[in-house]
Amino acid sequence: MTNKLNENLISNLILEKSKVLDIGCGNGHLLKFLEKTKYINGQGIEISQKGVQECLTKGLSVIQGNADTDLIHFSNNAFDYVVLSRTLQATHKPKNVLTEMLRIGRKCIVSIPNFGYWKCRLQILFYGTMPMTKSLSIPWYETENIHLCTIKDFIKICKLLNIVIEETYTNNDHTIKKLAHPYSYWHNLLSKESIFVIKKKK
Amino acid sequence: MGTTGPSSINPKIGKEYGMNFPIFTIKDIVNLQLKLIDHLEIEQLFSVIGGSMGGMQVLQWSASYPERVYTAIPIAASYRHSAQNIAFHEVGRQAIMNDPNWLEGNYYKTNNKAKHGLSVARMIAHITYLSEGAFQKKFGRDLQSKVLSWGFDADFQVESYLRHQGSSFVERFDANSYLYITRAMDYFDLTNEFNSNLSLAFKNTKCRFLLITFTSDWLFPTSESLNIVKALNQTAADVSFIEIVSEKGHDSFLLKVEEFYKTLTGFIAGAASKKGINNKDD
Repeated sequence: MTNKLNENLISNLILEKSKVLDIGCGNGHLLKFLEKTKYINGQGIEISQKGVQECLTKGLSVIQGNADTDLIHFSNNAFDYVVLSRTLQATHKPKNVLTEMLRIGRKCIVSIPNFGYWKCRLQILFYGTMPMTKSLSIPWYETENIHLCTIKDFIKICKLLNIVIEETYTNNDHTIKKLAHPYSYWHNLLSKESIFVIKKKK
Repeated sequence: MGTTGPSSINPKIGKEYGMNFPIFTIKDIVNLQLKLIDHLEIEQLFSVIGGSMGGMQVLQWSASYPERVYTAIPIAASYRHSAQNIAFHEVGRQAIMNDPNWLEGNYYKTNNKAKHGLSVARMIAHITYLSEGAFQKKFGRDLQSKVLSWGFDADFQVESYLRHQGSSFVERFDANSYLYITRAMDYFDLTNEFNSNLSLAFKNTKCRFLLITFTSDWLFPTSESLNIVKALNQTAADVSFIEIVSEKGHDSFLLKVEEFYKTLTGFIAGAASKKGINNKDD
């Protein structure tokens, strides 16, 4: 699940002819795009039968599975990049997923919807209900997003897991901006989505 | 059955081999196929596809002759026969060998030809090819006639169906061949050649793999294929995997399961365009 802006950004972030794993690759749009723009050697993991079929039709390699259980089968540094786009919040064990991603990939690109976005904060404050926004549009009892977090939370878990945040970007519908520092109070309040490039601390 | 089997004439003695036919393996079968494609001067097969025992051959092909295979598609398969698989086969073989008309395999000049034993073996096997749900849906407790016989006739439709499966099978299958072929599957364990390490079987392979399983297949369950996917992942092979939702059991790969067809045609088309083979329909 990735929009055009994110796809362009990811394409700019990765080197040509690298090996890329896209976790939760959906219909394979991003992988196909990266094949065309960066001649990557791509591999997808997708949970839905329909998504897997669409990927196969595009000539992509894809394994039906999910981030929580199927990363353990890959060997260390099997990929140059591992992409996890708007999926971390839907995993059962985000901490394990991050650790595993960094074991099998030299670098990881992770995007997360920011639960610290001001509209989310105001909805809890004034309505006293779980926030629903355009990107988080499903009510709490039906959403797959069971581990939502804020940008600040994400930076905290990176610290806890000894993860280095190399680059940070924010995506606010129509513009992507690179940030000098991963965290700022305003960024955590005003960003709808953030994209991080992370790697293991040496 | 096959090119040469127990029912073929042994030229040295001028009669059927019977139980003097040598035991053969999945690898022997693949080596024979290799001889054929060598003879036909085919450098590389675009796709080696097979279900069940055919899937074992696909795996053997990709492990033994990876450079001769572009895409490998094992369907509802396993890299080795499980204990349960062997157990079912053994029951089938015992049914044949305990048929008084089997005559240690020398039945070729008689009328009966171990028909009863082979028919029972087929009935057992047929149960393993379907799922509980498929049986229930197809037959439930439906009766052949309106009343029970209060005896041991085929009262239930499922009984009559199985009896029919058994008796029609014996018309086209040789009982001794059944023994040999089931044994070839039992003896199959791809890891034997590779120091008990399945990923070594696929080391440095350049084949494009697609593994397909079916949700209701309990004979070659998804977990078996996932073991192969894991081994392939460990060697960083090009691998795809899908589990198709179907209630038709192991037999799904022989039936018109729409999602299965879609997946297969999609993958083949995708692989063909990667290989630079044009599809005429485009």
